[in-house]
Amino acid sequence: MEMLLQIIGLIALIAGTLFSILGILGMLRLPDVYTRLHATGKVSVFGAVLLLVAGISLTPLSLGKGLVLIALLLLSAPAVSHAIASAAYRTGIPMKSNYPDELRKHLPKKK
Amino acid sequence: MLNLLNFVIWAVLIIHVGMLLVCVWRVWRGENIIDRLIGLDITSTLVLIILILIAIIEGNSIYFDVAIGLTALSAISTIAMAKYIADQRMF
Repeated sequence: MEMLLQIIGLIALIAGTLFSILGILGMLRLPDVYTRLHATGKVSVFGAVLLLVAGISLTPLSLGKGLVLIALLLLSAPAVSHAIASAAYRTGIPMKSNYPDELRKHLPKKK
Repeated sequence: MLNLLNFVIWAVLIIHVGMLLVCVWRVWRGENIIDRLIGLDITSTLVLIILILIAIIEGNSIYFDVAIGLTALSAISTIAMAKYIADQRMF
C-alpha cells in the first residue's frame, strides 16, 4: 500500500512538472496575448492538480484539504482565464493572425 | 525507492523555483499590461505548487491550509485587477 502510494506520487510529480514546463515555455515563445493565455491555463489546471494528487498521496492527513483545494482550483482557474481574456479583448489588444472577428458585431459600439 | 522519490522531489522543487524566477522577470519586462497580469497569475499558481512541495518534504499537512488561503485570495484579486483594467474603474 505504501509502495503503491509512492509510485502514484512519483508518476504525478513527473507528469505535473512536464505540464508546467510546457506551459511556461508556451508563455515565453507564443506570439500573442490570447495564445499565451491558452498556454498558461495548462499550468494552473494540469500542473497544479497533478502536484496536488502527488501531495495527497505522499503527505499524511491531507486528503480532505487536498480535495477542497482541487475543487477550488478547478472552479477558479477557468474563471480567472476568462476574466483576463475578456479584459484583453475590451482594452483592444490586437490578435496576431487576422481571422474574422465574430465577437465585434455582438458588442455595443465603443465611442 | 525512497531515495529516488527524494531526488525527484528536490529536482521538481528546483525546477519550479526556476520557473518562478522566469515569471517574475515576465512581470518586470512584459510587452503590455495584460502580459504582466498573466505573469502575476501564473506566479501565484507556482507559489501554490512550491507550498505543496514543501508540505511533501516536511511531511506536514499544515501548508495545505496556507495554500487554500493563497488560492482563494489570488483568484479574487486577479479577477478584480482584470475588471479594473477593462473598465478603468473599480465599481
